[in-house]
Amino acid sequence: MAVSRRKFLTTTGGLALAAGLPAMPALAQDRSIRHFWWGNPERDKRTFEVIEIFDKNHPGISVSGETIGWGDYWTKMATQTAGRNMADLVQMDYRFLFEYVRRGALQELDPFIGNGLDLSNFDKGPLQGGMVDGKLYALNIGSNSQVFVYNEAIFEEAGVADTDVINWTWDQFADVCKTITEATGGKVKGSDDCSVVLEVCEVWIRQNGSSFFGPDGDVTVTPDIIADYWQFWRDLRAEGALRSADKSLDANLPMSDVGIVSGDTAISNFWSNQIVGVQALMQDPVGAAMVPHKEGGDPGQFIKPSMFMSLTRDSEDPEAAIMYMNDWINNPEATKVLGLERGIPANPDVRAALAPDFTPAERVSVDYFNAIQDKVGTLPPPEPKGAGEVRDAFIRAATNVVLGDIEPQQAAEVFVDDAQAIIDRAR
Amino acid sequence: MKNTKARNASGYMFLTPWLLGFFLLAIGPILVSLYLSFTRYDMVGDPRWTGFDNYIYMFTRDRRFWKTLEVTFHYVLFAVPLRLIMALSVAMLLDKGLRTIGLYRAIFYLPSLLGASIAIAILWRQLFSIDGVVNQVLAVVGIQGVGWITNPSTSIYTLIILAIWQFGAPMLIFLAGLRGIPRDLYEAADIDGTSRFRKFYAITLPMLAPVVFFNLVLQIIEAFKIFSPAFIISNGTGGPADSLLVYTVYLFNEAFKFFRMGYASALAWVLLLIIGLFTALAFATSKYWVHYENERD
Repeated sequence: MAVSRRKFLTTTGGLALAAGLPAMPALAQDRSIRHFWWGNPERDKRTFEVIEIFDKNHPGISVSGETIGWGDYWTKMATQTAGRNMADLVQMDYRFLFEYVRRGALQELDPFIGNGLDLSNFDKGPLQGGMVDGKLYALNIGSNSQVFVYNEAIFEEAGVADTDVINWTWDQFADVCKTITEATGGKVKGSDDCSVVLEVCEVWIRQNGSSFFGPDGDVTVTPDIIADYWQFWRDLRAEGALRSADKSLDANLPMSDVGIVSGDTAISNFWSNQIVGVQALMQDPVGAAMVPHKEGGDPGQFIKPSMFMSLTRDSEDPEAAIMYMNDWINNPEATKVLGLERGIPANPDVRAALAPDFTPAERVSVDYFNAIQDKVGTLPPPEPKGAGEVRDAFIRAATNVVLGDIEPQQAAEVFVDDAQAIIDRAR
Repeated sequence: MKNTKARNASGYMFLTPWLLGFFLLAIGPILVSLYLSFTRYDMVGDPRWTGFDNYIYMFTRDRRFWKTLEVTFHYVLFAVPLRLIMALSVAMLLDKGLRTIGLYRAIFYLPSLLGASIAIAILWRQLFSIDGVVNQVLAVVGIQGVGWITNPSTSIYTLIILAIWQFGAPMLIFLAGLRGIPRDLYEAADIDGTSRFRKFYAITLPMLAPVVFFNLVLQIIEAFKIFSPAFIISNGTGGPADSLLVYTVYLFNEAFKFFRMGYASALAWVLLLIIGLFTALAFATSKYWVHYENERD
């Protein structure tokens, strides 16, 4: 039998303990768990507050929180996974969930349901999102959807405030962009250029009756659809209604550099849980619009789990970890602190308890969430291994299109080939 | 005899900490990476032996591998000579008997002390961003700047400028070399009324050739290994459009972003071969242009 480092340490540690400290039973009750998440200052503040509440309510268990930005999070996760040193509880993303489950890094949660983890009052839809092959591996701690956030003051100024932004089409969107650019004399452009944003392109693809990946993980989208998408933005750019090309090449901009926040544009794309964060950085009030629809097309947007919490293979005290997890979704003290920052909570009681104290921006998010309920499609199938790399390839291809180095059709054909090659290699 | 052995033994005893570090932290991982380069390893499961697949894929199918070579060679080709020219020019300026010269040398060395740091890379990103200082200065003289970093055709040059600015280490070595050139050679040249250019060309350069060679080899090795500035300036992606995808950034992303530790190990070994090849090339050509004063013919 191979002896792992962990086993070696716990065994020898246990022996040392037994030999040296026979009369200290209290020590054995000191339990500690680690929680690791990607965050921003606001999220970190709220999470540490929840940790304090938990520590207070559960003497004998101490939680240590570790936080880092999104960009470095997955690097650190990979390193810790390889070193068999993962935190007990980690924040998970829909895009990475399947990769981690298939690598055997996460523990199934089903044995804990009703046995420490109370899901009796949890929406079924959000619960499904955390399942892989019919088993629950990730607990939804918030839902979101795509959103175009717009500056209400500028919409007012340009006289387009009465646009039906929940039901608008791409043509109407283009008109609004042009009107705003004209009304402000080009000082504020209509919109950010979403050419490099795969998340918006995916909505476009679904509106055209296709999907990026098929159920078996192959790339099913045709180059024509993607070329049309890039052509749409290119035409709008030619009209001068978009942010400058130089500023439109980074799909991972910090929130403060996105067009609507920096004041360059009136419309920017986000995930709906970010509305609160955007508003916090802006003076003008913001509104929430759906990604424009294709006339007569399918619904493109979907409601997706924004974040999950998962129990890792390396957890030594799953029982304590599950207690903490349960508090996150059921303890009113904790859920009040967390609010909507990570997305819309899946527990109706929690939502009801939060409602009276909503800030205007939180009100905008919840109203938006309610308004889109019957206008969204089904959650796309789980992304195959290599999907993250495909996203990088998309950004590279789109960059060349935005800079005018290549025709959309040609770029799309090369990209679709590349994407399939990436998926094949990851198998 | 026995005495010597005992003395040797105690010597090795004192070396133990270093030897342990060398074998466990250097040789060990290096050998493991050689093994991993023949496997497929996602850092969670066990490595799976795949023979030469990684290397075959690299040379036959991986388009980004050729792209990263192109970017890296582009960088090395510009950064190394320009940095050496800069270092030599400044060294010659500082090779004077002024009383405050120590201060100047310290000041000129400063960028190199800061150079490897993350802070400078972040500063660089700000300087050359579309609303950055560089464009603001250009705007004053009426030039409309571009997004130097976001534009794939200019981004590599921001990296090269950074490399040139960090000329401190080769400059110090040049300075030491310049001090070592006998003054009487210059005095003799002065008596003959030689021009300054001629003195540089006929005395300084040949006398300095061993030092130039030394610096050249060091800088080639260092330039191929460039990582942190490219990583920071491109936000870890090597973008836009792979224009900052220098070799080690590609390697890092393959390992820690896409979990292909086996493939990344293979990339690392190929980089070692490339660096070895260029160092050997430098040595091979050196006999035509480097002459040592104490050489016996």
